[in-house]
Amino acid sequence: MKKLTLFITAILFSVSVFAHGPTPQKVQESVTVNVSIDKAWALVKDFGAINKWHPAVKDIKIEKRGEDTYRILTLESGDKLEEKFRSIDEDLKKIKWEITKGNVPFSDFNTYIIVSKGANANESIIQWTARFYRTYKLNPPIPEGQDDATAKAAVQGIVDNGIAGLKKTLESK
Amino acid sequence: MNFTFLIKILLIPLLILLIAVFIIAPSNSKNESFAYITNQGEDTVSVVSLNDLIVQKKIAVGDSPLGIAIIDSKELAIIGNVDSQNLSIIDLKINEVIETIQIGTAPLGLTPDPSGEKVFITSWFKNQILVLSTKNFSVSKAFNVGVTPSGIAFNKKYNFIIITSRDANLVEIYNATDYSLHKKIKVGSHPYGISTSDKFIYVANVYDDTISIINLKNWEQKVIKVGLRPYNIISYKDKAYVTNAQGDNVSVINLHTFKEIKKINTGETPENISVDKLHGNLIVSNWGSDSITIIDIKTHKPVKQIKTGLQSRAFGQFIYTK
Repeated sequence: MKKLTLFITAILFSVSVFAHGPTPQKVQESVTVNVSIDKAWALVKDFGAINKWHPAVKDIKIEKRGEDTYRILTLESGDKLEEKFRSIDEDLKKIKWEITKGNVPFSDFNTYIIVSKGANANESIIQWTARFYRTYKLNPPIPEGQDDATAKAAVQGIVDNGIAGLKKTLESK
Repeated sequence: MNFTFLIKILLIPLLILLIAVFIIAPSNSKNESFAYITNQGEDTVSVVSLNDLIVQKKIAVGDSPLGIAIIDSKELAIIGNVDSQNLSIIDLKINEVIETIQIGTAPLGLTPDPSGEKVFITSWFKNQILVLSTKNFSVSKAFNVGVTPSGIAFNKKYNFIIITSRDANLVEIYNATDYSLHKKIKVGSHPYGISTSDKFIYVANVYDDTISIINLKNWEQKVIKVGLRPYNIISYKDKAYVTNAQGDNVSVINLHTFKEIKKINTGETPENISVDKLHGNLIVSNWGSDSITIIDIKTHKPVKQIKTGLQSRAFGQFIYTK
């Protein structure tokens, strides 16, 4: 029965991922890290290494599907999240990916992290930006838990914990 | 002194002067252009002087402004506020909101008719096109269209209102006089931004990473691969320009060969694009970097990026020239 519920949730979610209302939400946070830009970028650009720095990620599995690379994350909560790698720009030191499946209170999650130079050679700045929508797509009134505020709070948590985790991991090496 | 000599020294320079005045005068009548950028994350519109390349003013509007229509003949900008479900009317002479009109639905795309007497607005939730009269600022009519109407364009030559019906993967064409449905055309997946010229309809198919160019004479459709998540598309002279929202660039399409000839880098998450004809530039709004990118049309190179406001979007033709 539990499996069936999970299956239904997965189907519902995979539909909701591809439809949304007109107002995308944004979360953007940055942190200064006391390591060189090359060290910071080496960790950030490794699509298969998020389990090393994001405190919510327990386990990771990389999957190739044709040309595309996916990672299936097992979270501390036990939930699974599937993410698709989009691109790496070595000049801008930018990595992009998106969430393709998962039981989350937001939809259409596209994101990127940029690593840039800090005030000196042993300092760098990591900036994480996420674009997403709430899960409720129809005309207001919006049900509780499916609104912009809920979506934003969830993503804010992911990003805040993520950049804190990056700082901790990089500076402890 | 003979008569022919007089003609030579007096009349010829006069003639040259007259010709010069006629050539220069029309281009002198318009000498300033501005970009009006809706900042959805801070409920404002940035007024960017494209002569000085600075933000001149920020105007507070309704909640989550997205769409814009500029009406040159009336010196007005109509702003669509998605979350407060109303329109802010900006007087372009004073850059202030002079009216706010409740419409009871989320306005998405806006486009004026050539006379400037009407503005057509796609109503996202009600699956309608609203007809706003710019005489008394009231919605004089609403007619039903396909699901999730998004981008909207007016074709002057054929008197068509053309929209994308996003979740149906359709372009719909309506007669602009009696609002009857003229044609539906299947395009790619998730069509969003749309524009038109005398010859073609241009559509961005977001999920296919393609654009469709539809010939208005024979409805022949060309599908062209562009960058990641194309969002909007415009044409100017013999090129089309496509914002690739997840590619952080603009694709340049040659309209003779129907091929992508270049990608131009922009800021993060470029969404919308208009032509500043006065200065020969393309102006792109960047949702991700809260800015606009200015691109030289001749060289296809980015010239400058200007910070505007949080989540800059400006869905529609957003340049005003005076």
